[in-house]
Amino acid sequence: MEKSAYKNMWVYIEHDGKRAHPVGLELCCEVRKLCDVTGDKLVAVLVEGLPEEELAKIRACGIDQLLVVSGTGYEAYSNDAYSNLFTVLCRKYNPSAVFVGGTINGRDFAPRFAARLNTGCTSDATELVYNPESGDIEFIEPAVGGKMMAVITVPVLRPQVGTIRPGTFRYEPTGEKPAVEVLHETVDFPVADIRTKLLGFVPDDADADLDLANTDVIVCLGNGLSGPDKLPKYRELAALLGGKIACTRPLFDRGILPFKLQIGQSGVMVKPKLYIGFGISGAINHTAGFAGSGLSIAVNTDPEAPIFGAVDYGIVGDMDEVCDAMLAALKAR
Amino acid sequence: MLNILVCVKQVPDVDLVKMDPVTGSLIREGVPAILNPLDGNAMEAAVRVKEQYGATITAITMGPPAAEAVLRECLSVGADRAVLITDRAFKDADTLATSYVVAKAAEEFGPYDLIFCGKETLDGATGQMGAQLAERFGSALVTSASRILEIDEAADTLVTEREMETGIETVQARIPCLFTIEKTNYQPRIPNFKGKKAARFAEIVTRTASTIPGLDPSRIGAVGSGTIVPRTYPPERGESGVMIDEGSAERNGAKIVEILAETGLI
Amino acid sequence: MKEFNSVSPEIAAQLAAVVGERRFYMGDRVREDYTHDEMPIYGKHMPECVCEVESTEEVSAILKICNDNRIPVTPRGAGTSLTGACVPLHGGVVVCTERMNKILGYDLDNMAVHVQPGVLLQDLAADAEAHGLMYPPDPGSKTSTVGGNVATNAGGMRAVKYGVTRDYVLALTVVLASGEVMHLGKTVCKTSTGYSLLHLMVGSEGTLGIITEMTLKLVPQPGMNVSVLLPFFDMETCIATVPKIKMANLDPQSIEFMGADIVESSSSFSGKKIFPTVVNKKDVGASILVTFVGETEDELYEKMEKLDALGQTCGAIDTLVVDTPTLKKEVWTARSAFLTAIESDTKYMDELDVVVPVDKIASYLMFVHDVGEEYGLTVRNFGHAGDGNLHIYACSNDLEFDEFWRRNKLLMQRCYTECARIGGQLSGEHGIGHAKKEYLEESVGEVPLRMMQAIKAVFDPNGILNPGKVVS
Repeated sequence: MEKSAYKNMWVYIEHDGKRAHPVGLELCCEVRKLCDVTGDKLVAVLVEGLPEEELAKIRACGIDQLLVVSGTGYEAYSNDAYSNLFTVLCRKYNPSAVFVGGTINGRDFAPRFAARLNTGCTSDATELVYNPESGDIEFIEPAVGGKMMAVITVPVLRPQVGTIRPGTFRYEPTGEKPAVEVLHETVDFPVADIRTKLLGFVPDDADADLDLANTDVIVCLGNGLSGPDKLPKYRELAALLGGKIACTRPLFDRGILPFKLQIGQSGVMVKPKLYIGFGISGAINHTAGFAGSGLSIAVNTDPEAPIFGAVDYGIVGDMDEVCDAMLAALKAR
Repeated sequence: MLNILVCVKQVPDVDLVKMDPVTGSLIREGVPAILNPLDGNAMEAAVRVKEQYGATITAITMGPPAAEAVLRECLSVGADRAVLITDRAFKDADTLATSYVVAKAAEEFGPYDLIFCGKETLDGATGQMGAQLAERFGSALVTSASRILEIDEAADTLVTEREMETGIETVQARIPCLFTIEKTNYQPRIPNFKGKKAARFAEIVTRTASTIPGLDPSRIGAVGSGTIVPRTYPPERGESGVMIDEGSAERNGAKIVEILAETGLI
Repeated sequence: MKEFNSVSPEIAAQLAAVVGERRFYMGDRVREDYTHDEMPIYGKHMPECVCEVESTEEVSAILKICNDNRIPVTPRGAGTSLTGACVPLHGGVVVCTERMNKILGYDLDNMAVHVQPGVLLQDLAADAEAHGLMYPPDPGSKTSTVGGNVATNAGGMRAVKYGVTRDYVLALTVVLASGEVMHLGKTVCKTSTGYSLLHLMVGSEGTLGIITEMTLKLVPQPGMNVSVLLPFFDMETCIATVPKIKMANLDPQSIEFMGADIVESSSSFSGKKIFPTVVNKKDVGASILVTFVGETEDELYEKMEKLDALGQTCGAIDTLVVDTPTLKKEVWTARSAFLTAIESDTKYMDELDVVVPVDKIASYLMFVHDVGEEYGLTVRNFGHAGDGNLHIYACSNDLEFDEFWRRNKLLMQRCYTECARIGGQLSGEHGIGHAKKEYLEESVGEVPLRMMQAIKAVFDPNGILNPGKVVS
């Protein structure tokens, strides 16, 4: 395989016909930086049907091309149609890299078309670096439960496929390029060949507390929490600060808080204005989840806890006592 | 009767893995190797299907010889057959190569109506194996499946729930189908003594690179992998933040509130 | 009631001189923690000052000052007691041993470890394990201090096979109320050398002296372990199996029982259904969890085989094997969190820590449940079936505190009277403190109580040591 024959970097824009999923925009902004280094074109790939004002948002991320696909089989998401779509498109256009937002559906089809194309697929990178010597993208991510960082590359095969969690990168549009080329493709997938059919969807109880993505203040609880009986004071603290509570993986594992509140590489990636972590040791797969927050503070009994290396302010002490003290100080104001 | 494949992996209990502060390498010594937790949920889901509809379950894993321990776990709760794929030639395989080898080795006892995987592993956590195995088997795929509602063997269809970001999807899928299982509704059962005893010395089918028919050596191990890990390094511990120490929890808490007020956050 | 003096500025200065200003806390500097243990329901009491001690000499100097000035002294470790034992009822000085947390050394040939009293149980357990040894006593609170364990003669789940803390105390350094230092015991396997003051100190709850150093016995770390869960239709059948297991010569390390209600609390607390409520399509009313240790898998399988057969004849629904690292972790995490699970869905609660003859467990539990029903209190229980030590909780979510406490007192009195009647004892492992003091005479008898009081008077004539506890 001649790697130089593969050019341009693709970002898949997942959408529901009304809005583009933010992860596509975040990826466009980040991959723009890579393309500036490599000279590749940044191509946003989507299935037709997104309103013009949303397309404008994509253009604003500095894309070079918009590849709009039409055809049968894309009305609802299906693994069969989307795996086929990217196989067909990649075979025709030979992109160097394909980035797919690590939503549940993104993670559903990206590894499959990568396998069909017989190429490498990475997931959940938190940093992307271009290595000019090898010509490969280095997908850097926490590994083994955050005990180490691993650099992953696709050294021989193309395209380099990567799924990236929503919230990993910032949506910081650099502005629309003067001439964004729009390409149209028609790829029909026979509806009768789609082997899965969506019968229904029941949204979770509209619990705003479970939506961390757009929260300004996050009070995050770690394994230091002695038990659920202590939750109310942290909920109160979060409420007084105008925010929400969240947790690390051990608390989800202990069944104390739901998965949707788990911050970190395998959970939700957030960038609040204020992050306060209580009883969190600070494995990198958690701290990667709030990197880039405004102000960050951590409370832990262990002065050696790695969390203190990831925050602006640290307090060595009993989390419950500090929480009580903060509540008292806030109420006294 | 349904023919079921359950794909499992033995993983280190990553919570107990420590890093050598000097060499930066991982200390795996003394860390228990366990059945990947979500694979336990997948096995439980398969056993419940077996109990309700009748099935033959084959459990399969790829790993070092010691990985047979996780297969015995599967046997003890209801697997009928266990296949261990082990060979140094498979070392350093990524999901691309692993899915190829597992599917090839499983062919011998196939074709399968249903294939179960855990949603992701504790160590690699790529969550790619399910989708890539589905590709190898040419089956339908339902990832993040949280509950199997019904199986219609006559129509070769089934209905399952999928745990999505914002709610629960109900999905109908054609058989053959591969699921990646969420833990929500499938807490693994505790095996009974009868099952443990039977599993203890049960035969494990062992396959190596030379005993899997038709294996293409260019598609296995490091050579057959799409991705490599050229290097790893310890996570950098950033510069410590400013440590607040005002002498007591009360004063420290008050100090944080003061800082928040100064920065305009409250 | 003895008359005590308060800590005057002069005495405070003397005490501060002993430990240094940094380890001396008075007035506002005393943390609220020191006013209670893990059962604040028994009342909070503020000490006048706290001394964080670091040596036998410091403890001796403090006790001398306090004894001379008739100032009460309450020793305290990690404050995890459940009877108010470390709460300063009469104010005065709290002597906190938390800083005395050093493992001083091992005598590997004699399998003994020399420690300071403030070493946490979990730290000693882990350190001994790293030496290939095991410290067998394993009371539930792993963050308790070993000094506190000795002072209450704490038990734990492994008591069935290994006995209690008392069985592992070889030698103690004790400071008497007068400030005199006394060395008791030696690193030897047996002794018949006069009255055992050593054993008098074990379980004396800080009323006879303050322990400042300890030599503890260790055993070789068992090679492997397995736990077996036997689910039953009801509590009676379940408990009736316990004596049979003990008779079967299986030498279990622990035999724990749990009712369906606790299992439910635990799974709603942790969000995980670890202990099954339905097995082989049958409802589970109660289960026992038996743990074996051994050196080989064959040995453990042999024991499990026998237990399986025994279970079948005793009406167990099945024999479930907990032997993978994951299952063990889940099962024992859930088991250890039973009390927290109860606390999390309970507003007010009080506890019994009685120990009854093993064959009386089921009937006694029935009795307590009936009394609870009579008084409108919810009774929850789990515990060490293998040794008859029952942890029973009287709980209420809807009563006001005063009414809860009134009914609770009536319940406790009835339960302790019944306990004494069937040949049980007031406390299996938590001790007397001040919470259970009023029931002590009924449990031990009038003359023994008088002897205890007399002993107390000899050791501590001015009554300054942990006043208001046990017999004082």
